Amino acid sequence: MASQNPSQSPSQSQSPVDTGSQRLDKDTRETLVSVARHGLLLGWSFVVLFPLYWLASMSLKPPGQANALPPDWLFLPTVYNYIRLAQDGAFLAAFANSVVMVSASVVLVLLIGVPAAYVLSRYDIPMERDVLVWILSSRMLPPIAVVIPFFVIFRELNLFDSRIGMVFMYVSINLSLVVWVMKAFFDGIPETLEEAARVDGATRFQGFRKVVLPAAKPGIFSVAIISFIFAWIELLFGLVLTNFKAVPVTLFVYSFIGSRSIEWGMLAAASMAMILPVVIFLIAVNKYLAAGLSFGVVIKE
Amino acid sequence: MSTQTQTETTTTSETGVARLRELWNDYLPYWFIAPMVLVMLLITFFPGAYDLYLSVIEEPTFDVFAAEFVGLQNYATAFGRGGALHSFIITVTVVVSALALESVLGFGLAALVAGVESERLQSFYRVLFIIPMAVAPVSLATIGRIMLNSEIGVIPYLIEATTPFAAPAFLSEIPLLTVVLLDTWNWTPFMFIIFYAGLSSVPDTLIEASRVDGAPLWRRYLHVVIPYMKPVVFVATLIRLIDLFRTFGVVYGLTQGGPGTATQLVSINIYEQMFINNSPGVAAAIAVVYLVFVVAIANIVIAKVGFEGVWD
Repeated sequence: MASQNPSQSPSQSQSPVDTGSQRLDKDTRETLVSVARHGLLLGWSFVVLFPLYWLASMSLKPPGQANALPPDWLFLPTVYNYIRLAQDGAFLAAFANSVVMVSASVVLVLLIGVPAAYVLSRYDIPMERDVLVWILSSRMLPPIAVVIPFFVIFRELNLFDSRIGMVFMYVSINLSLVVWVMKAFFDGIPETLEEAARVDGATRFQGFRKVVLPAAKPGIFSVAIISFIFAWIELLFGLVLTNFKAVPVTLFVYSFIGSRSIEWGMLAAASMAMILPVVIFLIAVNKYLAAGLSFGVVIKE
Repeated sequence: MSTQTQTETTTTSETGVARLRELWNDYLPYWFIAPMVLVMLLITFFPGAYDLYLSVIEEPTFDVFAAEFVGLQNYATAFGRGGALHSFIITVTVVVSALALESVLGFGLAALVAGVESERLQSFYRVLFIIPMAVAPVSLATIGRIMLNSEIGVIPYLIEATTPFAAPAFLSEIPLLTVVLLDTWNWTPFMFIIFYAGLSSVPDTLIEASRVDGAPLWRRYLHVVIPYMKPVVFVATLIRLIDLFRTFGVVYGLTQGGPGTATQLVSINIYEQMFINNSPGVAAAIAVVYLVFVVAIANIVIAKVGFEGVWD
């Protein structure tokens, strides 16, 4: 915002007489504003990129050099850490666990949430607003307060340290998001589309599956990826509800911190392996990100 | 609802499959919404109720009649020895300062990017600025531990090498500020991307009109732009507020609530009561208070501002 300050004084001292000097004024002013704007934006770009650059460079440095100070700005990159990581059975298991559990939870949350959102969008639900706030309230419950009862129950039901239990927990954090976002997307699809299909003899279900769902594809795609990310970065459930079999990759990274002699290079490589897929996902959905993250509110604009 | 009046009775085939298909289609909205309602009931009512139950008994047991009722004793322990009040204060401090920082920064960045003339540069910044969200809080904690470490960290090193100031010990002297700054780095993109989308929905004519008035820039934003995108600001703030109360990974990975109890958020306090002190009753007692606290705050915000303009 500070970049805009220079714009204040000239705009107030507008005089209708000397239009020539004012034009010049305006041009220099615009240049100044633009320089300041890009200065600030580049500054923030640096803030964003430096930690990531540092992590990446650490993961590519040979062991022993990872934390050398003053930093070796120039170094011969090596994939040594990544090769060691790829040979680490515990890491591979945790990574595979996360991929499987999180993907399964995304499929499940879409199966449960998307049809429900369709009903909320198309039918007259009594007290619809209260229902929607109730659904949102599942997001208000702090996970730590939710996980304690499930910790006790899962032990009784033999779901402790099971992938099924983790999938259920992941579904629980994303269901409200899916319902809200998809309701907003369905609201934006004209009902005449389905009505036309009905006239052609399609059942309601066919109308939903063959007409509405394809039209809502961008919404489904973006909400699936955002749900994936929210489950992927979750640490607490893994920490509380798993200890060996169903350990997610977040817990693996965490357990690195606890160990006595930290292998910085490998820790950095493991973090990079966690971050990179998500970066790609984020870039893939960046156009619909705002719609998804705002629970579908922005797309109405 | 309207489906039941559907005139499909002409096809009264007697086969079971057709009958099932008919049931499926006639009651479609119910089949569609039932699984969601069931899961929602399970995740909204069960945990709170079970926390409440755990918080008033001696030992966790499934046999409700065998449970030894201890009244509010666990609550007394929680707020006495348990340091629950302290952790609530810590949590509120972190939530309020991170929310304020992220909102202001997110809005400022969104306004700056929205003003960039070249469209290509605009989308470059937009994509670049969302990247921190890809970093899981626990990874961010490891990055923080490495880069901020007083002995081997690059940031203290750079501060001392390039400025005349001595670098603070981020993790032991100013742990709370460090937590807030890390969360700001992580989640400002969330505010940025929503505000950016909101800003691009503000019609140019509206901004032009206010510019003609000669109002200074900050007043144009405060009185014209922000009121116009109020629903967007409201939802972004509400969701970030809710999510900030869920914070766990970044702090647990960074400081585990320490040094001492300096960064002991409520969620960390509950975790420690449950799994380190092995007192589920006390943990559940704090959890009940926390649940009520967060749901109340969120609902007060919703009641005060409301979803007007969000749902029309």
